[in-house]
Amino acid sequence: MPMLYLKELRQAFNATPSDLKKCTDLLLKLKLHLVEENLLFPQENVPKDKLREAREVLEIGAFVSIRSRDLPAFDRYFAQLQTFYTDFVELERSEREYPIRGLNLIRLLTQNRIADFHITLESLDAEAILENEYIKHPVNLERWLMEGSYSKVWNAREEAPAEEYKYFVNSLVGTIRNEIASCQEAAYESLPLKDAATLLFFTNQSELLIFAQQREWQVDLSAGTITFKRKGEEKMEIPKKRLISASLAYARELEQII
Amino acid sequence: MPDVEMKPADDKKVEEENGKEESKPAPLHPLVEIKNNVALIDRAVTTLEPRFTHRVLRTLTALRKRIDASILRNAVEAIYTKDTSLKSKLLSWLPAATKSDDQSMEVDTPSKTPLSETVPEVEMYLRLLILYHLLEDEETHSEALDLANETVKKMQELNRRSMDAIAAKIWHAVDRAYSVNDLLPEARPLFLAAQRTASLRHDDEANAVLLNCLLNNYLSFDQPFPAQQLVSKAVFPLSASNGQLARYYFYLGRIKAIQLNYTDAHTDLQQAIRRAPPAKTAPGFYQAIHKFFVVVELLMGDIPDRTTFRHEVLKKPLNAYFETVKAVRSGSLARFEDTLNKHSDQFKEDNLFKLVLRLRQNVIKTGLRRLSLSYSRISLKDICVKLNLDSEENAEYVVTKAIRDGVIEGKMVHEKGWMECGSQKNGYGPEVSELFGRRITFCLDLHNQSVKAMRYPLNAHRKELAAAEGAREREKELAKEIQDGDLDDEDMGPEF
Repeated sequence: MPMLYLKELRQAFNATPSDLKKCTDLLLKLKLHLVEENLLFPQENVPKDKLREAREVLEIGAFVSIRSRDLPAFDRYFAQLQTFYTDFVELERSEREYPIRGLNLIRLLTQNRIADFHITLESLDAEAILENEYIKHPVNLERWLMEGSYSKVWNAREEAPAEEYKYFVNSLVGTIRNEIASCQEAAYESLPLKDAATLLFFTNQSELLIFAQQREWQVDLSAGTITFKRKGEEKMEIPKKRLISASLAYARELEQII
Repeated sequence: MPDVEMKPADDKKVEEENGKEESKPAPLHPLVEIKNNVALIDRAVTTLEPRFTHRVLRTLTALRKRIDASILRNAVEAIYTKDTSLKSKLLSWLPAATKSDDQSMEVDTPSKTPLSETVPEVEMYLRLLILYHLLEDEETHSEALDLANETVKKMQELNRRSMDAIAAKIWHAVDRAYSVNDLLPEARPLFLAAQRTASLRHDDEANAVLLNCLLNNYLSFDQPFPAQQLVSKAVFPLSASNGQLARYYFYLGRIKAIQLNYTDAHTDLQQAIRRAPPAKTAPGFYQAIHKFFVVVELLMGDIPDRTTFRHEVLKKPLNAYFETVKAVRSGSLARFEDTLNKHSDQFKEDNLFKLVLRLRQNVIKTGLRRLSLSYSRISLKDICVKLNLDSEENAEYVVTKAIRDGVIEGKMVHEKGWMECGSQKNGYGPEVSELFGRRITFCLDLHNQSVKAMRYPLNAHRKELAAAEGAREREKELAKEIQDGDLDDEDMGPEF
């Protein structure tokens, strides 16, 4: 019976466009079945084909969750898949492993969890990072983000190696826009509206104006410029109290020494 | 870091601690030494004085190198006089001895009175010696694993607190046995369970050894995530030996570096370097820490000290890192890529490749900083050319990000397409006084702690008092003599 479900799931998943609702229903049933068979968190001595099936179910689940934009669900699927990828070395590598790992990397990137991104990266082979296109993509994105080569990120957004990667594009664009905006606040005094729009990858002015409002920029429509508030030149106050107490403490200590 | 490299380093570390023991004139014959040690262990167990056991274990590394199968055989024969199952079991791990060996050794055994009843600790000690002996030879590695498993089982059945010190050493040997057989992942459940038990029983030594074994286990298989989880949950016993602490800090530094927490990683690695044994006794470990240290320092935006690369032990193995430092310093991306390609194999071998890859952005930052220092105004086009960036558009983003991150001081003028470099921040401000305050507090703390840590020998002040008394007497006499006019001014001249 579970085999039947799996077959159906494959069909529903491979159909174009895939039948997400049916997939979700089937996944629910299959997961229950996995729990009963003790395959969700498999222990040792499980036959290989069982493991393979369980892995496939979870992998399809991961893809489906991304397609239906359910990130928490993806998180769970990935955590469950980790066991299959790292602990069962005797199982041959799944062809979906790298795409899923890459998706996970992108997810961490868009959520700005850079430390987690690097920890995850560290558990991959150096070859995979350099060669595998699914992994290379998020790795490059991260490098460009860190360098500040935002235009490269922008250009690369359409070059996703797998369909699912595009689901993250929107949040990625949001991330880089915010990054660029905070850079501009620090680096420019004022900027013509037109240039600001190009720099922030906006195609029309109204989008830019809404964005500027969110970030509380002063927009001068008649002159066509945006002026950024200078945050750096705040008043420098001398922390009198702290200095006095520190000096007194030194004096006391010195007295003790002498 | 391949596991193999750590081990010899660590072994040598222990050896260094044994330096004093070893330098004794004419070391005893290993057989005699084993017997003495057995007697010591026996005494330790009967008198409940763990320090005798520690004394025995300190000689372990030195002793281990000098024993062979026949010595071990004779030792077992001499210690277990009666033919028990225990004895035959121990002997079964050793190859059958030849006749001549037996006889030559038999000569000096009768002089010693064999112990009538042996404590289990002695058996464990002998097992440990046999285990190390089996580990020496590649052919007996699988046997070593069997023995290790059996020993662990036995040790856990016996469950004696007087065995803790030996147990810690045994765990280390067990880890070795698994690692030479390439079975480290399989050892994890065993070690995790043992670590839990050890920490519950406050068995600090075994706990420290096991934690380090586990961390090494995870890190050498590129699994920093469980390693990080372990570190965040388990408390490392600070009373552990220096060698174990050094290893722990090294692993900690590595984990933190992976998490981009470079400042903490730097502190930890520095601790590891300070606690590590001298460079010559444990070169492998010393080099490994320094490799990480250099890369982390670069990632922090600092340039490592040049003397590091002139160090005798470090000069050659760190060559690749030296070139990387030069590339980062010059701020030239092309040169950095060259170095990376040239030495990528070594970086991969050292498990540092991914960290070195991250240096790319540092190269750009250094380059930008140099430009901002030397020009007051520079066009984006020139920046592109000088830093090997692809397009002006990109350069603009890079520069703005650098300004925001505080790498350079200045501002962009978009209409003109250039960067204006502002004046450098002057070195005075509240942060400076804060830093100064921190340093002073550190010095004062150090002073106070050392005052507290001083120990005075009993009654030593009496002597001083007597001396002071004497001085006063003399002074009085002198004063009297002056009054009496016996002494001329000229005589006392130089003294006053």
